[in-house]
Amino acid sequence: MRLPSDFHKIYAYAVRSALVNRRNVFAVFEMLFWPGVAIFSVGLLTRFLKLDPETVTFILIGAVSMNTIQIAQLDLSYALLYSVWAKSLKHEFMAPVGLAHILVGSGLVGLIRGFLVFVLMGLLSMWLFNMDLGPPGTWGLLIFLAGMFLNAAIIGALVLALVLRFGQRAEVAAWAFSYLMLLLCGLYYPVSVLPPGVRELAQFIPLTYFLEYFRHFYGFPQASSHPLLYGFSQSVIYLGLCYGLVQYTLRSALQRGTLLRLSE
Amino acid sequence: MQPAISAKGISKSFRTGFFKPRKQVLHAVDLEVAPGAIFGILGPNGAGKTTFISILATLLRPDGGQAQVLGLDVLKDPGRLRERVNLAASGAHFLWCLTVEENLRFYGRLYGLGGRTLVAKVEELLELFELQPHRRVTFERLSTGLKQRLALAKALINNPELLFLDEPTTGLDPEMSRHLRGEILRLNRDKGLTILLTTHNLREAEQLCGEVAFLKEGRMLARGTIPQLQERLGLGDHVSLVFRDGPAPLDYAQLPGVLTFNLENNRVDLRVDRGEERLAAILEAVSRTQSQVVQVRLQEVDLAEIYHEITL
Repeated sequence: MRLPSDFHKIYAYAVRSALVNRRNVFAVFEMLFWPGVAIFSVGLLTRFLKLDPETVTFILIGAVSMNTIQIAQLDLSYALLYSVWAKSLKHEFMAPVGLAHILVGSGLVGLIRGFLVFVLMGLLSMWLFNMDLGPPGTWGLLIFLAGMFLNAAIIGALVLALVLRFGQRAEVAAWAFSYLMLLLCGLYYPVSVLPPGVRELAQFIPLTYFLEYFRHFYGFPQASSHPLLYGFSQSVIYLGLCYGLVQYTLRSALQRGTLLRLSE
Repeated sequence: MQPAISAKGISKSFRTGFFKPRKQVLHAVDLEVAPGAIFGILGPNGAGKTTFISILATLLRPDGGQAQVLGLDVLKDPGRLRERVNLAASGAHFLWCLTVEENLRFYGRLYGLGGRTLVAKVEELLELFELQPHRRVTFERLSTGLKQRLALAKALINNPELLFLDEPTTGLDPEMSRHLRGEILRLNRDKGLTILLTTHNLREAEQLCGEVAFLKEGRMLARGTIPQLQERLGLGDHVSLVFRDGPAPLDYAQLPGVLTFNLENNRVDLRVDRGEERLAAILEAVSRTQSQVVQVRLQEVDLAEIYHEITL
C-alpha cells in the first residue's frame, strides 16, 4: 500500500465524478427535482388521506430514504458506465488502478450527493409537513445515514459487477436494483404487510433493520431485538461478497475480452 | 541483454455464442523484441494483432503460453507492469465532457501523480503535442487529429519505458499521420522508448519499424528486418533495363544474383538479390554484348511485396 499514490488514484475518480455531475444538467434534476417531487407528492398524499402525524412521519422517512439511497448509489453505479459510454474502459484498466480506488473515489462523491439530498428532503419535510427530525438525535441520524450509505454501496457494487459482465445492457440495473430492494424492505409500510414468502425476504435486506431502528424513535415497534447488529452485520457481509463478485467479474472480463469489447 | 518483450506460445480463443465452438484467435505466437526497438506487427484485419498486443498490455489473459514485458510476467505481475508501460490505440476515446487538460490530469492521477509533478507533466505534454490552445476544450469538441494527439499525450503521462501503439494513425489525414509518425520516431530516438506497434499500413511500418512480424489468422508467419525477410523469401530488388534495339543476347538467369527475369519488347525486368551490389556486374555483362542500354532502373523491394508474398 503506497498511501500518496493510492490517494491520487482515489482522488482521480472523485474529481471525475464531481466534474461529470457538475456538467450534467440531469445531475441537478437527480438532486433537486426528483427528491422535491417525491416529498411533495408523498406529503400531499398523506395530507389528502388525513393521516395522523406519526404515520405521516413513517411514510416521509421512507421517501427520504429512497431518494438518498438512490442518489448515493448512482455515482458508484455510473463509475464504470461513464467509461463504457466513453469507450475508455481499457485505458483506465491499463493504468495501475484497483477496484478499491474506483469504489472509494466514486463512492465519496455519491456519499456527499446523498447527504445533500437527505438534508434537502429533511428540511422540506420539516417545513412543509411538520416532520420532526429531533427524536433520533444526532447519533440516531448519523447511524441511519451510515446504514443508508452502506446499502447504497451494496447496490452500486452489484451494478459495477453487472456492467463488467454485460456492459451497457446493465444500465437499467442501476435503477432497478434499488427499487427492488426498497420495495422489499418496507419503505412506505411495515414489513408485516408484505405477503408471506416476500416478508421473509425482507429479513435479508439490511435497510429493513435501519428503517426499523430509525422509526422506533417515533414510537413504532421494532420487530427484531437488535436491528443495528443485524443491519450492520448483513451490510458488511454483503459488501464483502459484492467486492468479491466485482473482483471475479473483472478477472472474467480480462479472460473473455469484455474490457476490449466495451472499448470499441 | 534481457528482451523488452518475450512471448512464447501465446494462444487465445473466444467463445462465439452458446453451444458454438470457440474461435481460435491466436495459435502459439512467439515474439521477442529488443529494448529500444520499434517493432511492427503487420497483418490484415482480423489477424489477431489487437488481441496479441492486448495480452502483452495486460488487458486480456491468454489461454496458454507465457509472456514477459520488461522482465515482468503479464499474468503474475500486471500491477507493476502497468506502471511502466502505456497504450495508445486508433480511434481515441476519452470521457466526452472533460477537457483536454482534465483528461490528462485524470490519467496522471491514475498513475499516482499529484501536486506539482502532475501539473508539470501535464504542461510538458500539452506543449509537446501542441495542445495548449485546446487545453480547455472538451473531448467531444476536438477534431479527430487532436483526439489522437491527446491519446498519444495520455500514453506518455507515466513516462513509460514501453509503449503499445495499436494502429495509431488509423482514421487520420495524411498530414496528421506524418506528424504523428515523426513524434513516434522522436520519442524512440530521444527517450529510448521501446515501441510495439500494430498496423496494416505498410508505409508506416517501413518508415518506423526496424523489425516487423507478420500475423495472419492468429499465426506468426515471419519476422525479421526487411532485408532479412527479403532474403528469406527470395525477394530481390527490381532491376529494369531498357535497350535501344532489343534485349541483349544473354542468358539472364546466369547473371550474378539474378533470381528471375522477364523479357518484354525492348525491356528486361530482373529480380536481383542485393541489386545495388550486383548492378555494376550486370551492366558490364550487358556492355560486352555491344547492346545499347537507354535506361536503367533499380528499385528496392518494399514491404508491400513482402506482405503480399507472406500473407496471400
